[in-house]
Amino acid sequence: MNQTVNAIEVRDLVKVFGHFQAVKGINFNVKQGEILGFLGPNGAGKTTIIKMITGLLKITSGSVLVSGLDNQKHMALIKKKLGYMSQKFSLYPLLTVLENIEFFGGISGLTRKELRDQAARIGAQLPAELLRQRIQALPPGIRQKVALFVCLLSDPEIILLDEPTSGVDPEMRRKFWNEIYQLKKNGKTLLVTTHHLDEAEYCDRVIIIHNGEIVWQGEPAELLQQNRQISIEELFKEVISKHGQN
Amino acid sequence: MRLRYLIKKELIEMIRQKEMLFLIFVAPVLQIIVLGYVVSTDIRHVPVGIVNLAKGNKAEQIIQRIDQTPLFRVRWVTRQPVDYLSYFKKGTVKSIIIFREALDKKRNLLKYPEVQILMDGVDSNTSLIAAGYFNGIIKNFILNDMGRRGQQLPLQAKVVFRFNPELRSINFMGPGIVGFILTILTIFLTATSLVREKEQQTLDTLLMSRLSALEIYIGKALPSALIGMVDMVIGLFVVVTWFGIPFRGNPLDLALTALVYVTAILSYALLISVFSSTQQQAMFFAWFSLLMFLLLSGFFTPIENIPSFLRILVDINPLRYLMKIIREIFLKGNGIAYFWKDLLILSGISVTLVSISLLNFKRFISK
Amino acid sequence: MARIKAIIVKEFFHILRDPRSLIIVFIAPVTMIFILGYAFSFDLNRIDAAVVDFSQSDFSRQLVNRFANNRIFVLHFAGGGTSGGNPLRAAEEMLRKEKIKEIIVIPVNFSRRLTVHGQADFGIIIDASNSNTANLVFQYNEMIVLEFIAEMKKAGQLFKLHTKIYFNPEAKSSFFFIPGQIAAILLMISAMLTSVSISKERETGSIALLFISPLKSYEIIIGKTIPYIIVALLDGVLTLMFSRFWFGIPIHGSLLVLLFFAILYIIAGLSLGILISTTAPTQKAAMLAAQILTMLPSYLLSGFIFPIDSLNPVLQAISYAIPATYFLRIIRGVILKGSELKHFLFEGLMLVLLSAILLLAASRKFSRQRKAVQ
Repeated sequence: MNQTVNAIEVRDLVKVFGHFQAVKGINFNVKQGEILGFLGPNGAGKTTIIKMITGLLKITSGSVLVSGLDNQKHMALIKKKLGYMSQKFSLYPLLTVLENIEFFGGISGLTRKELRDQAARIGAQLPAELLRQRIQALPPGIRQKVALFVCLLSDPEIILLDEPTSGVDPEMRRKFWNEIYQLKKNGKTLLVTTHHLDEAEYCDRVIIIHNGEIVWQGEPAELLQQNRQISIEELFKEVISKHGQN
Repeated sequence: MRLRYLIKKELIEMIRQKEMLFLIFVAPVLQIIVLGYVVSTDIRHVPVGIVNLAKGNKAEQIIQRIDQTPLFRVRWVTRQPVDYLSYFKKGTVKSIIIFREALDKKRNLLKYPEVQILMDGVDSNTSLIAAGYFNGIIKNFILNDMGRRGQQLPLQAKVVFRFNPELRSINFMGPGIVGFILTILTIFLTATSLVREKEQQTLDTLLMSRLSALEIYIGKALPSALIGMVDMVIGLFVVVTWFGIPFRGNPLDLALTALVYVTAILSYALLISVFSSTQQQAMFFAWFSLLMFLLLSGFFTPIENIPSFLRILVDINPLRYLMKIIREIFLKGNGIAYFWKDLLILSGISVTLVSISLLNFKRFISK
Repeated sequence: MARIKAIIVKEFFHILRDPRSLIIVFIAPVTMIFILGYAFSFDLNRIDAAVVDFSQSDFSRQLVNRFANNRIFVLHFAGGGTSGGNPLRAAEEMLRKEKIKEIIVIPVNFSRRLTVHGQADFGIIIDASNSNTANLVFQYNEMIVLEFIAEMKKAGQLFKLHTKIYFNPEAKSSFFFIPGQIAAILLMISAMLTSVSISKERETGSIALLFISPLKSYEIIIGKTIPYIIVALLDGVLTLMFSRFWFGIPIHGSLLVLLFFAILYIIAGLSLGILISTTAPTQKAAMLAAQILTMLPSYLLSGFIFPIDSLNPVLQAISYAIPATYFLRIIRGVILKGSELKHFLFEGLMLVLLSAILLLAASRKFSRQRKAVQ
């Protein structure tokens, strides 16, 4: 497989809301087939960056290339390659699990046969009585599972997950990351944001974002070695406070 | 067609919101029945008090006439003078009729008593009409009585009430109610739909899908239009069968007009949705707009009396055109040949609203 | 007492800081009274009439002149000349197109019939689509005809008939509607604001704090009600001033009496609002319910537009349960007729009764919900 084209390339990306600079000119790449973790406190700009990549937010300046395509010009093509799971999981609370899947699959262009297959697939993963329950009545762990499923319906190559594990208990979080690994094994590229610091160790590479800027990027092991820190929490605190002093 | 998934989802969501369900099914029926019985400018049972200070039986004959009409309800008859103002202030009667002995210039007793009609003018409409009827009853009696000895009244007007011979106000209000139902449903359902996506935070995933802005726009507008039209048809049915209002025109004309109208209202409601941040806000604006539309449309009162500086609001009010056309279709059986001008203006308004709405929608999506 | 004051202050802050409620409180009422003052009018100021005179005699011309000389009538002559066809049909087309409200048709033998038979007929065709207007038009026509007859019979000296209209000599619709609008505004505001208040607390969860506070249920309810009384009164004053100075509606009665009853009425409205908010599951439902339960009855069943006397008995009975019904009589009476306190003992009593019932129900519901949580 040709690995030379990065899955995502971000160049000098800036986002300004009125007078507030949310993202201050960042540069990074997401290599094909890797799991990249975005770490940072609330308000650091993680969601803003992801939304600019997906085209949900207008870019103030800079560029985003997805599989080599400029997302300002080829958004329609890019949408076919991207899968997105937002914070809060974004499922329709009044609809059931099956209805959500039918809806999202349908608007992604799946045929009726494909929709039936997908319904069977989720049926294998969840107990039958949950399938016909409305999303609003289900616990976060189940919702997360369904949200991920929905995100993958169009079989995207590159998957962006914004805080996919918020509000989910540690047991389910572990199961979730198993699924992520599965996806990577199947050749997908993943960009995951989280503020659970222990999850950073699951990623191939990690980028720490603070106040709209990249504070550190590299492999988690390297990060630990470099700084002889015991845990990533302390590292994180170190790094953030150092950055804040500048 | 991917759009049908969006429409199906919208319909499911609408049905599963209890408040909207109520709005869709119960409210219209309730409104028709209440409005149908309440909304009536027919004058009936106007309470009257009579002070008969005259002697002779002419006054009594007149009083009998008054008592016989369903228009008036004679509350009391007295032969003593009363404090008129106090009765009016209390509000127990809307009118007091005083019969007195009449004297001519030579102080001779006239054959017919002098009649004074006192009206509580607060409800100007009722008092004008009632006063008119009093005048008519009394004068007719006197003139007929005078002519009893073989002479007829020299002049008689034969009056024909065209289009609504029974003079039922429900015939005028009913078609308006049908238009009202169409409006209330489409406005409320549509205005909240986009805001709901915002609040549920499902808007982003919707936008990330392959649907274009126009498709999302239509997907949000169509379901409410559908439900609105269905309810309108139900309303039509009730109004014609239960209240017996004549439908003399062509249903296709009505369908066409309704379609053009619904487009205008939908676009307006989507505008509300784009600019509101919570569903309550959307509902408030929807309700307020509905009220303004209704009041400036000629539904309750004729729009002729609206002063010129407010006329601009009336002239851009889509409901005003619907009201006029729908009434024409029901009562006069007018076809497009008669109301094409109004339909044209309505179409113009629709197109303008759709453009503004779509533009803002697109801008809203790509912030 | 200090505890209740704390709630009152908090509610005030809520109102003042929420731009939405500011709109409801100030902008909406002023807009409504402004527009409604102008939009609502049953007045008939002009009757366009087509005259089709087949007789063309002295007598017919006399008749037509009587209409022409009346300020309200604007005559059009549907001539057969240019259109070449039947003038009556041309007139009917005008009627259909709503260019005229009536057609006066004078038959060919009009004059002859009078001289030979002593009685002549002519026809009036009135567009009755709007029956109210048709009624008024009919009255005007009849008045002219009867006057003409009376003159022909020289009956002027034979009887005397006067009409006097009290309180509203020019019979202006605005006198009728604007005080009514003030009543409707007060009810809507008080009910809407309060209905949202408790639902909002329930949705944001702050109601739990209220539940566990040492305040008694009725203290909470009272504390929540008082700020809105003041706000609603402010609104009442605002709209009243508008009606007096902009629309020129004179105030004949005592403002103090009005104030007294207004407070009673507002309390009734607030009680309704609180009842709605303790019952409605969501803010959205609360708002919807408030709108439907205040707007519809107070516009339709209270005598605001349509006289209660002409309603059917069932609806008349319902109107007795609506606070607006009573306050409408009071406000119209005080403002337009100069009525006094003693005239409204029954209405005042009913307002108090309704408020008491609603407040009691709201209090009971609230404490029941509270006990359920505890």
